[in-house]
Amino acid sequence: MSTTESAVGELAEYVLIESKSPGRLAWERFRRDRVAVTASFVVLFFVGIALFAPLVCKALGINPLTLDRKALNDFGLPNGPFGAMSRKHLLGVEPGTGRDILARLIYGARISLLVGFVSTLLTTVIGVVLGIVAGYRRGKIDAIISRFTDLTLAFPSLLLIIALTRPFTQRLESLGVPEGNPARLTYIVLVLSLFGWVYVARIVRGQTLALREREFVEAARASGAGHWHMVFKELLPNIWAPIIVIVSLSLPGYVAVESTLSFLGVGLLPPDASWGVMLGDSVRYYRADPAYLFVPGVALIVLVLAFNVMGDGIRDALDPKSDRQQLG
Amino acid sequence: MGETMKRRIIGFLGLALSASLIASACGSDSSSRGRNAVSTDTFASTDTLAIPGTDSGTPTTGGTIHILSQLEQVTHLDPQRNYTGSDLAFAGSTMQRTLVSYAFAPGSDGSQLVADLATDIGTPTEGGKVWSFTLRDGATYEDGSAVTCADIAYGTSRVFATDIIVDGPTYAISYLDIPQDADGNSKYPGPYTAKADQQALFDKAVACSEDGKTITFTLSRVVADFNYTVTLLAFSPVPKAKDTGEKYDMTPVSSGPYKIESYEPGKSLVLVRNENWSKASDPIRNAYADSFVYEFALDPAVIDERLIADAGDDQYAVGDGGLQPENLQTVFTDDRFKDRRQDDYDPYVSFTAFNVKTVSCVEVRRAVYLGLDREALRTAGGGPYTGDFADGYIKPALADDYAPSKLPEGLNTDGTPNVEAAKASLEEAKTKCPDVYAKATVEGLKFFHPDTPIWQKLVSIWIESLKAAGIVIKPTAVEPSKYYPTVQNEETDYDISRGTWGPDWPNASTMIPELFLTTGGFNLTRNGDDPAYKQFETDTKAALDELDRKAQGKKWQALNQFLVDQLWSIPGTFTKAQDLWGSKVGNAYRWSSTGSFLFGELYVKQ
Repeated sequence: MSTTESAVGELAEYVLIESKSPGRLAWERFRRDRVAVTASFVVLFFVGIALFAPLVCKALGINPLTLDRKALNDFGLPNGPFGAMSRKHLLGVEPGTGRDILARLIYGARISLLVGFVSTLLTTVIGVVLGIVAGYRRGKIDAIISRFTDLTLAFPSLLLIIALTRPFTQRLESLGVPEGNPARLTYIVLVLSLFGWVYVARIVRGQTLALREREFVEAARASGAGHWHMVFKELLPNIWAPIIVIVSLSLPGYVAVESTLSFLGVGLLPPDASWGVMLGDSVRYYRADPAYLFVPGVALIVLVLAFNVMGDGIRDALDPKSDRQQLG
Repeated sequence: MGETMKRRIIGFLGLALSASLIASACGSDSSSRGRNAVSTDTFASTDTLAIPGTDSGTPTTGGTIHILSQLEQVTHLDPQRNYTGSDLAFAGSTMQRTLVSYAFAPGSDGSQLVADLATDIGTPTEGGKVWSFTLRDGATYEDGSAVTCADIAYGTSRVFATDIIVDGPTYAISYLDIPQDADGNSKYPGPYTAKADQQALFDKAVACSEDGKTITFTLSRVVADFNYTVTLLAFSPVPKAKDTGEKYDMTPVSSGPYKIESYEPGKSLVLVRNENWSKASDPIRNAYADSFVYEFALDPAVIDERLIADAGDDQYAVGDGGLQPENLQTVFTDDRFKDRRQDDYDPYVSFTAFNVKTVSCVEVRRAVYLGLDREALRTAGGGPYTGDFADGYIKPALADDYAPSKLPEGLNTDGTPNVEAAKASLEEAKTKCPDVYAKATVEGLKFFHPDTPIWQKLVSIWIESLKAAGIVIKPTAVEPSKYYPTVQNEETDYDISRGTWGPDWPNASTMIPELFLTTGGFNLTRNGDDPAYKQFETDTKAALDELDRKAQGKKWQALNQFLVDQLWSIPGTFTKAQDLWGSKVGNAYRWSSTGSFLFGELYVKQ
């Protein structure tokens, strides 16, 4: 499909569409969306450095924990312009400790993305299961699940998350989750999932309600298909597209929420860093060392933006007729 | 270690700090044996520095002074519960008078004793076992009634009601000649529940003369500097009819130049002039401003911003918690601020305490001291602005008691770690106490720290710098307001915790016993079972009973060296603190006895 610009091309495309699988079609539409492709590369880049953080840091000769007193002045602030950016510390050093900001950013990406991925996975699984069950069974089960969804939506979740951090992490630790950051991260993932699944469930329920009235579903039902067959063979394959879109759009949301929580002090314990921890710390230095605030801030904006643009691209590719407003 | 200063910690810890955490310190050497022996001293440590708050302008009357605070409320306004430096300075200069006070003056002058409700600074008899004070005429409360001898005795008696009157200094209980039961508790339970015979015990120890002109304190032993003790507001008068017990904290009756107009914790406290106070009866308070507004629950960063910006009412504002380290460069490198900033020693010493029960091996404790990057810790707190590396628990300003101590061999004086020496010390521990060695190198030492931004950095420095010596630190973050209650709880299983302490008056008798005796008010070391403890206890008691001040000083010096050798805790810094205040605030100097502004003496510059 390299020549699609001409009127003839469009006609040719129309003809060709008939002979391609929907997945292939979507992929080709996505490939043509240059902005989305660029965004995907940015996302891949971030995921890549997060996955290979130790290697990347080793190659750059930096370490997120190493103190560097020489990079600080007598006030404990970076000893040089722009947060003491230098060949040794490409993005400067952290005030107070002299730790390398680039290294902390790379390791921080690991934690931010880990929380994002795991939370997205959990919310998607819970949301899809409950959404399909509610939409497919309707009646009493639907009523119970829907009311429960409404109740969860009505919760002042952020307040609850902040207030419950300490008791719940302690409970997790007593249940055998390793003390400290593993417990805190588990807590963050769990509460994000606990409050996040409802958005997935609502959309999936709506899609399911619409689908179950379609002829092919009725045909399957009429021919005596069981519940399992109905859900997994008839309904689920037909709502993959919206689910993929939800996933790609909610992931950056969780990365941002993790940052917010860390910023509010619910996040990680030292000496580890996430982007939110860095942002939270850097705000105090906005006057003395603005570069420090700038670096994790820009990184977060770029990552979230890239994920969102990629998500939009995927949605457009999967469902070219969809109205952006409806699904977002 | 070297990390941050207690005034900053106050902010972080908020209310919890209250519990006798930060005792205030005081001025002047205490070789005072008699009423005239008030002295010259170096306690204030400001001697060589210019004192910026003392501008040459003539104080003017009127206007409103704003005090910006991170706390939710004044920790305690109830005089018998008031025990933080900032609170003592605030309440003492505005609402609560005492028999004797430190002079309201900058620098070392502020550590001289002056008469307040009394007409003298106390007359000791029986070698200092009985102290009497003659009362001044004309002192009144905010309702116009006179301050009587009975009110001072009543106020003092409230200290004994330890279930209601909490967090305050308890010197009245330990010093007054009131019998104790078998458990060592006073037989006098405080005025709320005392039966007539119990009240008689107290009335015998604190007696008013027939004419109500003289109050006499009978002590259980000689306390040569008891007149310094009564500068604490715990010896302030409380009118019995107005005492509301626990609630008195919110509605204390004023005997000073200001009274409470409104008090909403979390928001503000407004003080206005007490029309019934007369300058004629009060030789020390000047009461320039018409009113004070104490603004609570502000973010420390916001307080600094407001003071830097110096706009509107903030021109008349001071903070009560010092500058944040991240703003030191801004304030101290710009001449714009040169007339409204100060950098000075405060009365405190910071330290890191080991749980001697679990870290029972001095070689391991020494290895931590040697291997710790104290320089990095100090830098994170603001570099030299944090203070000087401490060589013990007695600041040089306590001239009688201080002597440079001999620090462990191999300890780098510039605060950088000596990894080799630390490893060598650990190697000794390996054979001598394999259990503690394994704990320190494999399992990890549990470090309990307040969960604050600065501590997240400091604990990272602990972990990283000790890693080089092979010591593992496992951090546990504790909610700031619960930090001290947590580590003072016997059940908390920390290996390392931290604290800051200052003397209540210039005698190490308010430092070393408080920090290291098992009965002390702020002992975080759990050192009671240490083989060296018995010796320490005997020597400390001998020092407390020593009547000759110079000889006593020598004993404290020896004990300080003993503590540095035992390393039940690691000395941190002799701390400094920095302040910035609004451009139209006058008299903004640090009162050496508390390390705080003398709030009541601030005035509005015209």
